[in-house]
Amino acid sequence: MGGAVVLNRLPLPAQLDRTVTTGGLLAGAIVTPPLIALIVLRVLGNISSAQMVWWMLAGVIVAGALGAVTLRNVVHSALALIAAAMGLAGMFLLLASEFLALVQVLVYGGGVAILLMFGLMLTNATEDPVVIDGSQKPFAAGVGLILGVALTAAMLSANWDASISTVVDFRDLGARLYRDFGVPFEVASLVLLVALVGAVAISRRDNDDDNDAEAAS
Amino acid sequence: MPSSAQDLALTLPHYLVVSGMIFGIGIAVALSKRNAIAVLMGIELMLNAVNLAFLAFSRFGSSFGIASEGNPAAPLAGHVFVVFILTVAAAEAAVALAMAVLVYRRRETVDLDRINLMRW
Repeated sequence: MGGAVVLNRLPLPAQLDRTVTTGGLLAGAIVTPPLIALIVLRVLGNISSAQMVWWMLAGVIVAGALGAVTLRNVVHSALALIAAAMGLAGMFLLLASEFLALVQVLVYGGGVAILLMFGLMLTNATEDPVVIDGSQKPFAAGVGLILGVALTAAMLSANWDASISTVVDFRDLGARLYRDFGVPFEVASLVLLVALVGAVAISRRDNDDDNDAEAAS
Repeated sequence: MPSSAQDLALTLPHYLVVSGMIFGIGIAVALSKRNAIAVLMGIELMLNAVNLAFLAFSRFGSSFGIASEGNPAAPLAGHVFVVFILTVAAAEAAVALAMAVLVYRRRETVDLDRINLMRW
């Protein structure tokens, strides 16, 4: 707790309150040693640059996903999910598919993040009890652990004969999408239209329904 | 210990391991949370894991017999699948959140343990 005393005496701006500063220092303290280790390994030649980037992104993704499980505040949990999605966008870049990395940032960093925040705001998630994990939590943790370990072990032990890697040309993806998958593409656009119109329709405040609900209650 | 160039390359299992871990964590989120929107977040996590696996197979999958000389664009099938999954994920998020807002308006809660109208 000596750090907190020092922080109290620092002439910090009003916005940087103690929680933010302590959290930032804590996060920096957690993140810095692995980063230094990775850079040392890179300089020694034990890992390639691509592998260094892979380790960083995997750390962000897994930490974000674990944060989505463990954080008790559901808003924080949503922010951790967005961090994991952004790490996945980086991993898409590592897989040399720039277009889908951009789409991932747009859809998850933009659309889904805003939707989740609006949903949490409109349902007053912060006023609900702090406990957001049900009594089935041990069972859920067991299922997640078993499934994750089984998938990872299966993928590691399988003999993928896949040393050939192909880099995607942006133009090829468009040609493939519109030429060979034209009908599914149109169906997908219809699904999106119906879903958005339906979302507006079912969440619209209907005066008659409200009156009925009030009369019934 | 200096490694050969073969060891230093990123291979298919690298991505698949991340994908499997994210899928496991996602199903843990979806099963353990009581807030309906948190359950939706777990489903999004699982969809992301599947997207990563699709892209990894799409990049490294030219030895799975998908590609041929006459059809060089065939490996892109994984990319096209990811486009469709992203579309469906966005639609699902919009509809599910609208339903959560509707349920909250009717029952003043999105706690899944308390939405038990159809309980047997």
